[in-house]
Amino acid sequence: MTPGMIHIPTLETERLTLRAPAARDLDPFAAFFASPENTQYLGGSKTKPETWRYLGEVIGHWAMRGFGRWIVCRKGSDTPVGLVGLHEPLDWPETEVGWYIWDGKGEGFATEAGAAARAWAYTTLGLTTLVSIITPGNSASIRVAEKMGATRAPDWDHPRHGALLVYRHPGPGGRI
Amino acid sequence: MTAHTTISALTNAIPVLETERFVMRGYTDADIEPFAAFYAGERSHFVGGPMSRELACRALMTYAGHWHVRGYGRWMVEDKATGAILGNVGLWYPEGWPEPEIGWTLFDGAEGRGVALETAMASRDYAFNVLQWDTAISLVDPRNTRSAHLSQRMGAVHDGRFAHERYGTMDIWRHPIPAEVEA
Repeated sequence: MTPGMIHIPTLETERLTLRAPAARDLDPFAAFFASPENTQYLGGSKTKPETWRYLGEVIGHWAMRGFGRWIVCRKGSDTPVGLVGLHEPLDWPETEVGWYIWDGKGEGFATEAGAAARAWAYTTLGLTTLVSIITPGNSASIRVAEKMGATRAPDWDHPRHGALLVYRHPGPGGRI
Repeated sequence: MTAHTTISALTNAIPVLETERFVMRGYTDADIEPFAAFYAGERSHFVGGPMSRELACRALMTYAGHWHVRGYGRWMVEDKATGAILGNVGLWYPEGWPEPEIGWTLFDGAEGRGVALETAMASRDYAFNVLQWDTAISLVDPRNTRSAHLSQRMGAVHDGRFAHERYGTMDIWRHPIPAEVEA
């Protein structure tokens, strides 16, 4: 990749748009991460300055890796309902597909956006598998992984967060 | 597998600056390891470290993303002669900062050759001439005498202190205004 180049495609699914995260997303993002309840399984709450840095990280991930996470909106709306996509900081076990949904829980948005991100990873990046890494007890997220056809793999011991559940996704042909 | 369609894309690039001896360029995945190596070491304690490789990588991603949130940011500094990655220098204004600053971080072995001075001056020129800033500061840990000295060499003067929620107290060094720099 050209150093400093960023390229974030916009994807559409049946009900959702997955678009580049931007400065205007800070307030809804910060509101979500300020809540200890929302972030119980996501490493705990963040202050607004911390969330700003995290938003920058999510965008910068695209510049460094050529893939990353998208802001998810209902089609026809620019209001973020979540953050879904691909994630691989240094020393991560492998490329992860992950999902945070803060508006419209229970409507299947995580599954729909997660499947789009996974399909994009397979068709555009040529990846052949992905994992989802989930904090024990996060039953809503485990349900999404299972609905996507992912199955339990050996746990991963994170240096700060301890043992995390790993779910392995079926590959491009539906193979586990 | 849910169908999806790619309907458009955001594409953006970080400008490349050249000084006499260095190239200042945007971020790439080749920068992650040198950045993590710096943040594993004791020299990083003035700039939020030491920290784990994962957290250093995430911090570097924030530097890259800063450009797309603010429209400006820092650059990775490369030695023109050798291609060696020497540090991370430029403009930085995260949420919670008192105002935009000019900052510099040099990796191990890059000190003592005027790298920070040359690239920080280029950053300041960019801020004043391209971005039309009318003032600039540098925030420096009070124990970081080398950086305080560099601020002074750039003509900056001590202008109070700033207390950050996580990083503690930092000295504010106020740079000369653009007209004084040109004179």
